[in-house]
Amino acid sequence: MDHQSLVFASVFPVPALSHTTPTPIATPELGFTAPGQSFGGPFGGASAGSQHREVKRNLAWSTATRFLSLPKLPHDEGHLSARVVHIHKGKDVVEALEYLLVGEGQGEEGKEESLVDWYTNEVRIHFVNYVHPALRSIWDNEIACQNAWEALEETQRILLQVQQLYLQPFNNHILPILEHESANTTSSTIRLDTTAEDQHIFASWKFQRDLHGLFAHALPPQRFSKTLSYVLYNGGCRLFRVYVDNGLGFVGGDALDDVPKLRNGILQLLRGLQDVGLGGEQAQKAFAHAMDKLMGSFIVSHYMKVDWFSRKSIINHLRQWVKDGFSPLVRQVMEVLADEPKSVQANDVQQWQDMAIGRLGRARVENLFDFIINWDKSLGAILDIKEYLKMPGAKVNLSNSFSQQVSRRLLHAGATTTFILNVYIYVIRAFNELEPNGVLLERAARPIRRYLKGREDTARIVISSLLTDVEDENAAKFGPTSEISHEIAAEMQKPIASFAQEQDDDLNWSDMNWQPHPMDASPDYRKSKVEDVIWFLLTLYDREDFINELKQILGDYLLRGHDPEYEKETRLLELIKLRLGDDKLQACEVMLRDVLESNRINASINGEKKPDESAMPLPITPSPHTPANNQAQPRTPAAAQARYPAPSTPVAALIKQPPAEHTLNAQILSSFFWPPLREDEFHVPAPIATLQREYEARFERVKGMRKLRWLPSLGRAKVELHLTDRTVDAEVQTWQASVIYAFQALPAENRNSKAEEGVARAVPQLVELLEMDEGLVRNALVFWVGMGVLQEVRPDVYAILETLPKPSAADITATDTAGNPTTSTAVVAAAAAAAAAELQPSGVVSTTEQLAQNKPLYRQFVMGMLTNQGNMPPVRVLMMLKMVVPGGFPYGVEEVRALLEELVEEGKVGGVGDVFGVRK
Amino acid sequence: MSNADMATSEAKISPPSRSTTSNANVTKRLQTELMNLMMSSTPGISAFPNDENLMKWTATIDGPEDTPYAGLSFKLSFEFPTTYPLTPPTVLFKTPIYHPNIDFSGRICLDILKDKWSAIYNVQSVLLSLQSLLGEPNNASPLNGQAAELWDSDPAEYQRLVLARHRDDEETEL
Repeated sequence: MDHQSLVFASVFPVPALSHTTPTPIATPELGFTAPGQSFGGPFGGASAGSQHREVKRNLAWSTATRFLSLPKLPHDEGHLSARVVHIHKGKDVVEALEYLLVGEGQGEEGKEESLVDWYTNEVRIHFVNYVHPALRSIWDNEIACQNAWEALEETQRILLQVQQLYLQPFNNHILPILEHESANTTSSTIRLDTTAEDQHIFASWKFQRDLHGLFAHALPPQRFSKTLSYVLYNGGCRLFRVYVDNGLGFVGGDALDDVPKLRNGILQLLRGLQDVGLGGEQAQKAFAHAMDKLMGSFIVSHYMKVDWFSRKSIINHLRQWVKDGFSPLVRQVMEVLADEPKSVQANDVQQWQDMAIGRLGRARVENLFDFIINWDKSLGAILDIKEYLKMPGAKVNLSNSFSQQVSRRLLHAGATTTFILNVYIYVIRAFNELEPNGVLLERAARPIRRYLKGREDTARIVISSLLTDVEDENAAKFGPTSEISHEIAAEMQKPIASFAQEQDDDLNWSDMNWQPHPMDASPDYRKSKVEDVIWFLLTLYDREDFINELKQILGDYLLRGHDPEYEKETRLLELIKLRLGDDKLQACEVMLRDVLESNRINASINGEKKPDESAMPLPITPSPHTPANNQAQPRTPAAAQARYPAPSTPVAALIKQPPAEHTLNAQILSSFFWPPLREDEFHVPAPIATLQREYEARFERVKGMRKLRWLPSLGRAKVELHLTDRTVDAEVQTWQASVIYAFQALPAENRNSKAEEGVARAVPQLVELLEMDEGLVRNALVFWVGMGVLQEVRPDVYAILETLPKPSAADITATDTAGNPTTSTAVVAAAAAAAAAELQPSGVVSTTEQLAQNKPLYRQFVMGMLTNQGNMPPVRVLMMLKMVVPGGFPYGVEEVRALLEELVEEGKVGGVGDVFGVRK
Repeated sequence: MSNADMATSEAKISPPSRSTTSNANVTKRLQTELMNLMMSSTPGISAFPNDENLMKWTATIDGPEDTPYAGLSFKLSFEFPTTYPLTPPTVLFKTPIYHPNIDFSGRICLDILKDKWSAIYNVQSVLLSLQSLLGEPNNASPLNGQAAELWDSDPAEYQRLVLARHRDDEETEL
C-alpha cells in the first residue's frame, strides 16, 4: 500500500485495503513483453524475475495479513477481553511470514511496506476504532475527584487488555521468526554488525513504543496527569491520615484505611500504568506534584498544632516522619515508575526534611504574633521557628512578616499603651529565645519602640508599673485595662543582672571572649548580654526625660504614701538606681529622704508638744444645730507645705496632723529637688491654722530658724462629722475638709437657722470665705454631696443634710444595713463621690498644667528669639527653647506650633507657610 | 623647639582647666540674665542667644521716640568673654547706623563698655544705655566727627543721613 492509501485508510477505515486479495489468484499477471520478443512466451527475459517476486510477495502478503488482521468487531467489552481465535496457522502462513519478514519478501527500504509496519498500522486503526471510544467516554469530561481512582483503574484495565491483544500475535508469530533469523545470522556468519543481532529486540521495542505512544495520545495529557497526581495525593493523605479541609469539611482520617493494603493498591495501579506506558516521566512529574502537596497538607494537618502544654518543639517528629514515613513511600513509588531504578539518596532525605521544616516555619511565622501574645505557653512554636531560622532567607521572611503583623495588629490607636508594652516585653522574651544574639530582636522591635516613644503615656505607665508591687493586694484592684503593666511590675521583682558593662566592649583589648558582631547586625547594634526587659524599657527614652518623669510620679507616690516607712518606694528606688546609675537619681533620693525625715521631725515635735498642750481644749465651736465637726484624727495627714525662702537651699514642708484631738503631721520637702507642686492657697480651718503656727514655731526652734512655707492643698485630713442621725468618718483631701468645716454655722447665724435645716452656703460665698479656687470648692461640694452630707438646695447653694430622708417604699428593697447610704439616690450620689474622688488632682503638677502656667514665659522666649534671630520654623524654635529655657522645655513641636499660632492671632507674629517671624 | 615655645605651649595648655569652671559660671550668669530679660520684657529692647553655649547673643533696639532714630530698629551683636562679668562684653551695631559715637563698622564708644564697666551691669542695662545714647550722643568724644557737628548745626541734614544710612533687616516681613 502506498502512503496515500495509508492516510486514506487511517481516516476512512476501508477493510478491503488492509489486506488485499492477491492479484494472481484473480488474473494471473503475465507482464509485458519487451519489444521484439514474442508475446506471451514462457521466457519472459530479464523482467520475469522481478515480476515473479512481485507476484510471490503479493501472495505472501495476502496470506500473512489475512492471518494477522485483528478481529473487526464492534466495540464491546466482551470481545476485547475474549481471546481472539485465529484461523489456523497453516504452513502457507508460516512460509508467507518467513518470506515477508526474513526472506526475499522483506520490504525494500522506503519503497514497500514491511509487514511489521503494516501490523503497527493495523493496531492503530483497530485502537482508534474500537478502544478509543471507550477511553473517551472516561476522559472526555472533567474527572470528579471521587471518580479519579476508578477512572485510572478502568483506563489501566482497558489498556492492559488491548495491549495483550495487540502483542499476542506480534509476540507469537512475528517475533519468533525474527529471533530465529537473528540467531541464525549470529551463529552462521561472524558479523560485527550488532544491528542484526538486536533486530528482533529493536523491532519489539519499536512496536511497544508505538503502542505506548498510541495509548498516551488517546488520553488528554493534562487531565491525566492531574488525575494521577490527585490519586497519588489522595492515597498519600489516606496513608498518612491527613485531615484535609476541602471546603466541604474534613475528609479522611476517620475512615481508617488498611494501610498495607492501600499502599499495595497504589503501587499496583502505578505498576499497571507503567506497564501500559503511562508511567515514566509524566507520571513522575505528577507524583512529584502530589508529594509536594502532600507534604504541605501533612504539615498543616499534623504539625500546625502547637504543643501548649509540654512546650516542646515538634521539629524532631517532623524529621522522623520525613525519614520513616515520607521517604519510604517515595522510594517505593520511584522504584515502580523509574525507567531505570534510582535509589533515594541520603541527602535527598535531608533535603526533604529541610523542605518540610521550611514549610512548617513559614506557616509558624505567619502566626508569630499570636505566639508572642501567648508567650510562654507558645514556647514549642517559637522553638520550631528557631529551627526554621537556620534555613536560608528565613530571617528576612520572619522580620518582614512580623513587622507586617505588628503594624496591622498592634501599632494602632486601638491598642492601649499598656497592651503594647506587655507585648513588647513578650517580644523581647520570645526573640531572646529565638535568637540570643539579639539582631532579630533589634530589627523586630524597632517599629514598636518608635511607636512607644510617640505615645504620650508610655513613660508614665512604665514608671508607675515599676513602682507597683505585684504582690501587693492593692494591685488586685487594677483591672487588666488599667494603666499598670503587670508584666513590667513582675519583671521588676526579678534579680538584677549587673549593669557594669556600660563601657564599649570593642575597646576592651584584653577581653579574651571577644566575638565579632553577627554579620547581619545593623551598625548601631549593641550586644546586650543582659536579657533584661527593664533595660530595654529604660532605654526607650533619653535618661534625663525618664528621670524627670520618674520624679513626677515618685513625688506623687510619696505624697500619697500611707506607709510611714516608705519601704516599697525605697526598695524600688534602689532597683532603679542600679539600672540607671546612682548619679542621676539624686533628686529622687532627696525626695525619699525628705518624707522619711519628716516622720522623725513630726515625732520629735509632736512628742515635745504633748506634755504642755495636749490638755488644752481645741478651739472648736460646736454649733448646737450642726454638729459637723472637723475633727482631725491621729493618723491624719492634713497637709500643708512650707517653703524656706532662702534661694540657696529652699526647703519646703508638707504638714500632716495628728494628736489626741487634733494632730498635725507635716512633710517637709526640699522644694529644689521636688517637681513643681500644686500651690493652691486657701484658708484652712482655724484650729488647723493654729496648729500650723505652733508647728512652725517648734520647727524653727528645732531646725535653727529655718522657715516653713505651707502648701495647704497637699495632704489629707481625717474627718469625723456628727450629724443629727449619724456620724460620718472619712479621710479626705484638705480642701474638702476645709469646705465642710465652713458649713459650721458662724456665731452670728446660730440663732437664725432652724433646727431641721442645716446651714446653707452658696458657691461664691465659699470661694470668698475660704479664698479658694472655685474649681476646688466645686470638687469638694460634689464629693460631700456624694457622701450624703450635703445637698444642693438651690442651684449653687448647698446645705447640710442633717437627717437622711426616709427611704421611699420603692427604695426599701435596695436598702442596706443601718449606717450606709440607704436610698437609691444616695447610691447614685455615692457613685458621684467616687467619680469625684477619681478626679482628685494629683499633688504634683503635670506637664500639661505646667505648660499653662509657664506659657507667658515661653511666649517671652519665643518673642525674644524671633525678634533677634529672625524668622524661623517651629522646629528650630523648639530646638532653641530646649536649649535656652532653664529647666528644659519638655514639649514637642506641636505645642510650639500652638504657641506660635496663638501669637499670630494676637497679631504679634506673622507666619508664612512653616516659617514664623515678628510682625513689626 | 625652643624653650620659649615650650613655655607658651604650656601656658596655652593650662587655661582650659580653669576656663571650664569659669565657663560654667559665665553660662549660669548669662542664663540668669536671659531669664530676667524675659521676665521683665522692657519695651524697645530685646536680646536672645544665638546658640546653645550662650556666649554670643543678638539684640534689638528700637530707636527712641523724639529722636532722629524713632521708628527704626537696630540689631546688635554681643560677644561675652569667658571672664564675663568681670570684663565687659564686646558689643557691635550690626545694622548700619549714623551716630556720633558709633563708627561705620558699628564699633561703639561708650564708657560703660570700656573702662567704666562693672560687674553689676548686665545685658539689659547695656541695652538701655545704648538706647539712651541714641537720643543723647556724647559729642565730646566722637567717632564720627561729621555726625557730631551736624547733630547741633543741622538736625534736618542729620535726620536725612540717619535715614540714608539705615538699612532694614533683609528678612522678609511676615
